Amino acid sequence: LPSPSEDPARERPRILIVEDNSADVFLIRAAIKAASINAALDVVKDGEQAIRFFDAADYDDSVPRPTLVILDINLPRKQGDEVLQHMRRSRSCRNAIVLAVSTSGSAGDRENMMRLGANGYFQKPSEYTDFLKLGDLIKELLGAGGGTDSAD
Amino acid sequence: MDSVPGAGNANGAFREMVEALPVAIYATDAQGRLTWFNAAAATLSGRAPEIGTDQWCVAWKIFLPDGTPLPHDQCPMALALKGGRVPGGIECIAERPDGTRFWFTPYPAVLRDAEGRITGGINLLVDITDSKAAELEANERFRAVVETTPECVKIVASDGTLLQMNSVGLAMVGASSAGSVTGRSIYDLIAPEDRHSFREFNERICQGEKGSLEFDIIGLTGVRRHMETHAAPLRNSDGAIAQLAVTRDISESRRAERAALLLGAIVDSSDDAIVSKDLNGIITSWNKSAERVFGYTAAEAIGQSITLLIPPDRLAEETEILNHLRRGERVDRFETVRQRKDGALLDISLTVSPVKDAKGRVIGASKVARDITQSKQADRAALLLSAIVDSSDDAIISKDLNGIITTWNIGAQRVFGYTAAEVIGKPVTILIPSDRLDEEPEILSRLKRGERVDHFETIRKRKDGSLLDISLTISPVKDKLGNIIGVSKIARDITERKRAQAALLASEARFRQLADAMPQIVWTARADGYTDYYNERWYEFTGFARQKSGDLSWAPILHPDDIQRCRETWYGCVRSGEPYNIEYRFWDRHDRRWRWFIGRALPVRDADGTIVKWFGSCTDIDDLKRVEDDLRRANQDLEQFAFSASHDLQEPLRSVKIYSELLTVTCGERLDGDALQFLEYVRGGATRMEMLVRDLLTYTQVPKFEKPPEPTGAGEALTSVLASLAGAISEAGARVVAEPLPSVRVHAAHLQQLLQNLIGNAIKYRSPDRPPVVHVTAERQNEQWIFAVSDNGIGIPSDYKERIFGLFKRLHTSDEYSGTGIGLAICKRIVDRYQGRIWVESEPGRGSTFRFAVPV
Repeated sequence: LPSPSEDPARERPRILIVEDNSADVFLIRAAIKAASINAALDVVKDGEQAIRFFDAADYDDSVPRPTLVILDINLPRKQGDEVLQHMRRSRSCRNAIVLAVSTSGSAGDRENMMRLGANGYFQKPSEYTDFLKLGDLIKELLGAGGGTDSAD
Repeated sequence: MDSVPGAGNANGAFREMVEALPVAIYATDAQGRLTWFNAAAATLSGRAPEIGTDQWCVAWKIFLPDGTPLPHDQCPMALALKGGRVPGGIECIAERPDGTRFWFTPYPAVLRDAEGRITGGINLLVDITDSKAAELEANERFRAVVETTPECVKIVASDGTLLQMNSVGLAMVGASSAGSVTGRSIYDLIAPEDRHSFREFNERICQGEKGSLEFDIIGLTGVRRHMETHAAPLRNSDGAIAQLAVTRDISESRRAERAALLLGAIVDSSDDAIVSKDLNGIITSWNKSAERVFGYTAAEAIGQSITLLIPPDRLAEETEILNHLRRGERVDRFETVRQRKDGALLDISLTVSPVKDAKGRVIGASKVARDITQSKQADRAALLLSAIVDSSDDAIISKDLNGIITTWNIGAQRVFGYTAAEVIGKPVTILIPSDRLDEEPEILSRLKRGERVDHFETIRKRKDGSLLDISLTISPVKDKLGNIIGVSKIARDITERKRAQAALLASEARFRQLADAMPQIVWTARADGYTDYYNERWYEFTGFARQKSGDLSWAPILHPDDIQRCRETWYGCVRSGEPYNIEYRFWDRHDRRWRWFIGRALPVRDADGTIVKWFGSCTDIDDLKRVEDDLRRANQDLEQFAFSASHDLQEPLRSVKIYSELLTVTCGERLDGDALQFLEYVRGGATRMEMLVRDLLTYTQVPKFEKPPEPTGAGEALTSVLASLAGAISEAGARVVAEPLPSVRVHAAHLQQLLQNLIGNAIKYRSPDRPPVVHVTAERQNEQWIFAVSDNGIGIPSDYKERIFGLFKRLHTSDEYSGTGIGLAICKRIVDRYQGRIWVESEPGRGSTFRFAVPV
């Protein structure tokens, strides 16, 4: 089960990172930090864990629900697109903001995720400084989503 | 017997003489009592008169000529004795007691004494029966003639009194009996306006002339009739002349005028064109059918010359016809050609009759034209038919129901060797070999039942005794009433065909032998797709019974998913005549699994190009198919692998690059020079590998587009390429010059990759001595566009011109020129995909020109 890895604070946005690669999880955290986003972060390592996270929120109102999900496309067990579809059908999490991330520059992958309801897409760059631009994108999406919790 | 009164003492000789006279004589006293009679009187009266009792006459009963009884006391003798004057020549009838009658004329004479007193009488009765009978007969005959004459016969006195009229005449005037009109003036029966002329006519006749007259009568009832009378004078015995007239009712001919109108209607309704013309050939009447047949309306035709209808080359005919008509002759069913208003020619049958006036003069012609185009065609068909019969290669013979040959065409002569003269009238059995003579009665009995014998193959005998195979088709010949009157027989010499059949059978046997020896399934089918033969391999493979062929006989072992497709394809080919070529699965009962086969069939055509047969085979391609499938799957796997590999390789490479950078940036102060240098190598290696992986990904993705390309504007592709190369171009100070470029059927992404790689290379391999200039041009050659990218760079040694298009082939170290060695391989792969080609022309040190050709 997911466990909050940061101190939960009521007003803070909650970001769920679905990413199997620890090196990338590190970089994502670095990007969020570099963008000075004060958010609660949850991390799951594969698609099934992500789905259980959403299901738990549906059955138990005390379980935290994410404001924004950073969703890697290429995941063990369940792929990112399946996770996204499941989430968009979830009672409590369907309104969360989704930012799909991937190493792939394929237009097909991008279009597929956008069609399934992703709010943004970020191709993981191979330069550190480029990677940090992810923080700006998250900030932007949180601003557009009003940064409000949509767990209803 | 008493003495003859007045005869006194007449001597015996006189007495004897009177007695013996053949004339009946009797004598009476003054009171008329019989005093004497001779033998002839007794004989004539048929009785024995009684002297002193019989009074006035010896006859038993007396009648007037009209049959009225005449009392004895009023008979001429009585009148004479009573002192009256008795006219001479009276005719009376007497009846004997036996009922017979006789005609007589009395000649009474009165005897007087010296004082003139009547003392008695003497009467002679002359028997006139014979002459009277003749007269009566003549009268009767005349009366009969008059009565039977269908016309009115009458006698009119000069003063106009109708004396006599026959019953036809009575009927004409409406009289019920002769009494109602005879003895009256005939003038009352004549129409008032004609009375005067009739009176004059009557007087003229009564003066002895003959004549005729037309007049109207009104009769007793006022019904008008138009009469025509022919009269002659009739002299009575007293010398007076009366008119004897035969009068005909010609009201009918008046009616005929009205009938003529009716006739006109009939003429109009006739299917034949009925035209009349005068002797100058000018059309005077024109019926409806004439309008239909010739296309001219009556208004258009009447008044025109008949030559209007005559084709120019037949104008002479009209003169000839007119000559006939002037002589009063009729032209009967003259077949000729006439021309319609629209110019079309018609076969017609003409009947032209002269039209004469009352005096018999020819005043014109009536012409009946029948359109016989149809029957003419039938005639031609008959001619054609007989020509066909004569030109037929088949023997065409007819015979009567006794089997006697009645006709014999040229074909029959050729086939059987007999001439027509030799066989007509002979029994058809002369053509039949002795062992087949029983066929003929059988054939005849079938024909008598009205049946037809079709393609009966048998053997017949030629004149020279040789036998031949023939095919007989025999039909009954019927008359118009449907009675069978004979037989028509078509005999085709099939000796050749039989030989050909035998040859065919032999060749078929050879074919089957060959087919059975083949390792493939071989089959044949009829033109309609019905499978009529399989070789031995089929029966081995399927285990089917030998007889099992025919439509869809192959369906039971066909994979259910293939049946529909096979059936549609096969019958589609049967309809179109295109070769059949299809892959499908058959159930292999030995291996108990489906095996892939390729079915092929080609139509076999006769000399006319008509399909007569299909020749097909089923070849087991299962092993091949499996290898092919395996290969395709292996290729797919390989491509999938290459794709995934290059894709998945990117991720760890990215981590290596980023973390070596991070290490340099964050821990730089804690590392010494060597460590930093090593880190730089790590990063460089990772970067190069990243490029390699990216290019490899591009390379594997070249065949991915499934859809045929839309025409792509090469100019637009170039624009986007120049945008993405903008950094490199400005860095190198390069100039790219492009001519207007065409549209080609290449996917846009591929065209961009081609141009990007070639232009990128042109800039990358620039000469250190001069700023790079790149020219991009395109030139049409037949169905291809040949693009050229020329540079002024370092050029390529000719040894490497081929090698540079191979994967990972590079001419330089990455220290000299960075690169993956995949770019040109990608270009080649793309061009190959479009069946195009790519090549290079180069002069080392001066520059290179890369060209690629792609379809228009």
